Amino acid sequence: MRLLRYPGMIVSILLLAVTALAVIAPALLAPYDPYESVGTMRLAPPSWEHLFGTDHLARDVFSRVIYGARLSLSAAGLAVVAGVTLGAVIGLVTGYLRGVVDAVVMRFVDVVIAIPGILLALIVVASLGFGPVAVGLGVGLGTSGAFARVMRAQVIRVRAEEYIEAARTLGGRGPTILVRHVLPNAARPIIAMAALELALAILAVSALSFLGFGAQPPAPEWGALVSAGRDFVATAPWLSILPGLVILAVVLAVNRIARYVGGER
Amino acid sequence: MTSPAQRVDAMGPRRGSVGTVARFLLPKIGQALFVVWASYTVAFLLIHALPGDPILAALAVRGGDATTTDPAVLDELRARYGLDGPLWQQYLGGFFGIFRGDLGVSIATGLPVSETILRVAGPTTALAGFALIVGFLIALAFTVWAYLARPAWVRNVIVQIPPLGIAVPAFLTGLVLITVFSFGLGWFPASGASGFASVVLPGITLALPTAAIFFQVFSAAVFDAGASPFVFTANAKGLSQSAVVFRHVLRNAMLPAITIIGLQVGYLAGGTAVVETVFSRDGIGRLTVDSVLARDINVLMGVVIVVATVYAVVTLVVDALYGVIDPRTRTALAGAKPISAAKEVRT
Amino acid sequence: MTSVPLLTVRGLRVDYTTPKGTTAALRGVDLDVDRGEVVAVVGESGSGKSTIAHALVRLLPEEATIAGGDIRFDDVDVMSLSQRALRRVRGARIGFVPQDPSHSLNPVLRIGEQIAEVVRRHLGLTPPAAAARAVEILDEVGVPDPAQRARQYPHELSGGLRQRVLIGIAWACNPELVIADEPTSALDATVQRHVLDRMQAMRAAHGTSVLLVTHDLGVAADRADRIVVVNKGEIVERGASAEVLADPQHEYTRRLVAAAPGLRSRRLEPSGGASRAVTEASEPFLRVRGLSKTYGSTGSPIVAADDLEFSIDRGTTFAIVGESGSGKSTTARMIARIVESDAGTITFDGADITRLRGTALRQLRRRLQVVYQNPFGSLDPRMTIGAIIDEPLRAFGMGSRGERASTVRDLMADVRLDPALAARRPAQLSGGQRQRVAIARALALRPEMIILDEPVSALDVSVQEQVLQLLVDLQAEHALTYLFISHDLGVIRQISDEVAVMRRGVILEQGSAESVFAAPQHDYTRDLLSAIPGGGVAAG
Repeated sequence: MRLLRYPGMIVSILLLAVTALAVIAPALLAPYDPYESVGTMRLAPPSWEHLFGTDHLARDVFSRVIYGARLSLSAAGLAVVAGVTLGAVIGLVTGYLRGVVDAVVMRFVDVVIAIPGILLALIVVASLGFGPVAVGLGVGLGTSGAFARVMRAQVIRVRAEEYIEAARTLGGRGPTILVRHVLPNAARPIIAMAALELALAILAVSALSFLGFGAQPPAPEWGALVSAGRDFVATAPWLSILPGLVILAVVLAVNRIARYVGGER
Repeated sequence: MTSPAQRVDAMGPRRGSVGTVARFLLPKIGQALFVVWASYTVAFLLIHALPGDPILAALAVRGGDATTTDPAVLDELRARYGLDGPLWQQYLGGFFGIFRGDLGVSIATGLPVSETILRVAGPTTALAGFALIVGFLIALAFTVWAYLARPAWVRNVIVQIPPLGIAVPAFLTGLVLITVFSFGLGWFPASGASGFASVVLPGITLALPTAAIFFQVFSAAVFDAGASPFVFTANAKGLSQSAVVFRHVLRNAMLPAITIIGLQVGYLAGGTAVVETVFSRDGIGRLTVDSVLARDINVLMGVVIVVATVYAVVTLVVDALYGVIDPRTRTALAGAKPISAAKEVRT
Repeated sequence: MTSVPLLTVRGLRVDYTTPKGTTAALRGVDLDVDRGEVVAVVGESGSGKSTIAHALVRLLPEEATIAGGDIRFDDVDVMSLSQRALRRVRGARIGFVPQDPSHSLNPVLRIGEQIAEVVRRHLGLTPPAAAARAVEILDEVGVPDPAQRARQYPHELSGGLRQRVLIGIAWACNPELVIADEPTSALDATVQRHVLDRMQAMRAAHGTSVLLVTHDLGVAADRADRIVVVNKGEIVERGASAEVLADPQHEYTRRLVAAAPGLRSRRLEPSGGASRAVTEASEPFLRVRGLSKTYGSTGSPIVAADDLEFSIDRGTTFAIVGESGSGKSTTARMIARIVESDAGTITFDGADITRLRGTALRQLRRRLQVVYQNPFGSLDPRMTIGAIIDEPLRAFGMGSRGERASTVRDLMADVRLDPALAARRPAQLSGGQRQRVAIARALALRPEMIILDEPVSALDVSVQEQVLQLLVDLQAEHALTYLFISHDLGVIRQISDEVAVMRRGVILEQGSAESVFAAPQHDYTRDLLSAIPGGGVAAG
């Protein structure tokens, strides 16, 4: 297979496969129950028995990270789906209609892009209450502006292509042209961008959960695990740093695959 | 209007009259005001359109189970925090308050919001300024290094490094830095906001993603410029390597880079939330986090307005600078027109 | 004269390395340029001619490496020079005129400064002296108001003026050799001639040797003492210009000479002995009356078409010639009913089509088709060739899936395309093949008239020739009427029956092709005709 020529891709795909398994069936991967103490060893350092050590309640941190994948990744997935849907609709409509609607709506989109994503997410969280769904929606709202802008640019670019004009002189009807030519040619950058945004969404979701706005304890969410370990950073730094490294690895893997989808080799 | 027939050549770039400068600046000032208004509107809509009573939520956090449900007390509280009356009244009242410097009263502390924000603005400004400068320098260094690096695979490795800055969660960077440089080596304090030493670790944490964003734009612009025919011309002229890089490549690449400083300010404002929490440092970011934890929407609104204003002002300054730096917009400013090809055929 | 040439190249080999492997761009090139001599390197795109120009000053793109060979310039071994020493030779002793004037000057530096920095560096002039010298140089290359121009930025100059500035830079330090890489291919024909004249004047004044790289045999014939023909990285023929043109030895050169539009003077005839069916009808097939179009209402309106009048008989080719900005493409698009006209009427086969819309307009598309200039842009990159040609059939519901598939095969055979290509995508085809696809698509609905908007200007000359021949054959086979838009009089001479010359939205003159070419009435037409490169050779 051609993919095998890119070692980074192989590693990324393997890592994401394991992550996907952790989302679907965490019990297969996790050696211990994420909510129960595994003995009296509190704050134990990493060992073969406890890969990531144990926390202050003597729970196995590795198992908690495995179980945390579902919460963290579904919130990030929700963010991307919400962002793409909202953004693509706005972009399609403004790019297709142009004129006053376009001018007004896009000014607001500019502003949504300018407000820091995390601040927008915080506003949503402050109104909806804490939890992974609110966090996912909030992060999604923050990314929708960028999606709208790209979608609109794509629609406008494709509409100006000579082959669209050619299709019209060949007797094609408006809706046929939109479906057969405009959408397929406009969609690819959006798909690539959605993949990239998933990496950023994982980061944003874990940041918000680190700040305490995601799933509430004792539910294991990646950012919250890092945050919980923070109190012991002077004596047991691995408690925060190892889950943090897992987040980093997943983000890099998603990013690598996203760039592959986007045509970068 | 300057007539097209007017002598182009005699028009120096700085001769634009007060009128032209005003024509250039007024729309941009209008744009800045629009950004503040629209941010306020978007935030207001989000807070009030989404389900939930802000005052009840805030009281629940503050009082736990002992929250009062007496309607008279609630009404009084609503009036105190400016959350009474019809929505449009709250909306307009809040908006016009901005111009008086009145951002309402904090639900959590009862103190004026503007005062609360002003008190923590200093440390955040120091932090963001440090991060912006360090991030800029890191990005610049990597860009020049990557541009000059040979052979191609070395460069391909170099360009992979800066983007990591945005992939590493800020809380991870912060905690690693604390572990190594505070608890390990004892060089810098792990928390607090006093003195320059306290800025270094959080500043570097925040500078890494900033550098990644700068690098993205720099490197794209530099490689674009580097591959462009005018750099070929510069090389074919026999100019020295440094003259080619600094006069021709970087000079062109800096223009698009300037335009993202405005967006960087927005990013920094968001980034401080995590970094200030990790380093237990007073600042706007931590204030934001605390206000959300307390469901204190008045402070949150205040932060949105302040961030939007800073963003709008920075963008305004950058736009104005861009107009002066780029000769292409400068000509447009002076009202000059390129001479048509038709005119030249006859010469 | 000494027998040692100024520049000697022996066995020059350049390889391009891409992820897909290594390809040889130059496979052992030998080349000499004597002092004061103009040598033209002629070849089509991809022949390696520009690679020669860049390799001589060792300014190749990164993926290219010089794999072997010798370059000696005035007894200096260029291959063994350090980069630092090389930078003292470039610009000082070897000037370079690049291809693309619109992007070859730094957009944020003033014109004068861009000349001054060369003389500061190589001649050691002080900044004020260099600035003064820059103004003198601008004057020498024929830039009007040099002192004021020196203070302007590149975007304030036209393409022709920018190319003069670049010529000034190349000659600024009085070099012994100037390499000019397609110096005029981005310019209109009349501007091209002025720029080439200026280069010739500079060469004469300074006794410089010039290596002129061009795709245009006509330009080479007009301007060079000797011609070197490059094909696929090898030199296939060399000799004095007149001899090469009069008596080409290599088969490739013969094809080039035969195909060069400026060098021939006859209309192409249908191959295979078919004759053209020009029906003698009293009524013209297409008639245009008072057609007008203005862009940009306030401020400075641009008149794209001003009260145009012409008519086209069935089965003939009517050509509109003009340079960029003449309004010729707008005119074609108004007749194709893509752009709305402001005023006037268009009559097609007796019916007024000026304001057709809806179903009637769609039905008109079956009879009136368009082929675009850019075979890269007019085909949807995501569709297969088969689907592209099938599209109009599908849109009009012509036949079942199986019937349409066989029609597509017939159409591909019609335009001499291998039906096996039907499964490919546009990116996998050459420019000539793509344009054949566009023609097949236009033919699919069996139209009576085709509007051809610069259909061959993006193609190499030998491919141009083949596509033009195809168009002539198809015209005979299907009794087609053509409206042919081009900036290239050489091409127009090969295909048209009637010609209209347009400038700034106005038809300056029109008439039969023979009469316009033999006895042009308008000064501008004469200017255009004399600007065709190679005109002198064809006459002699």
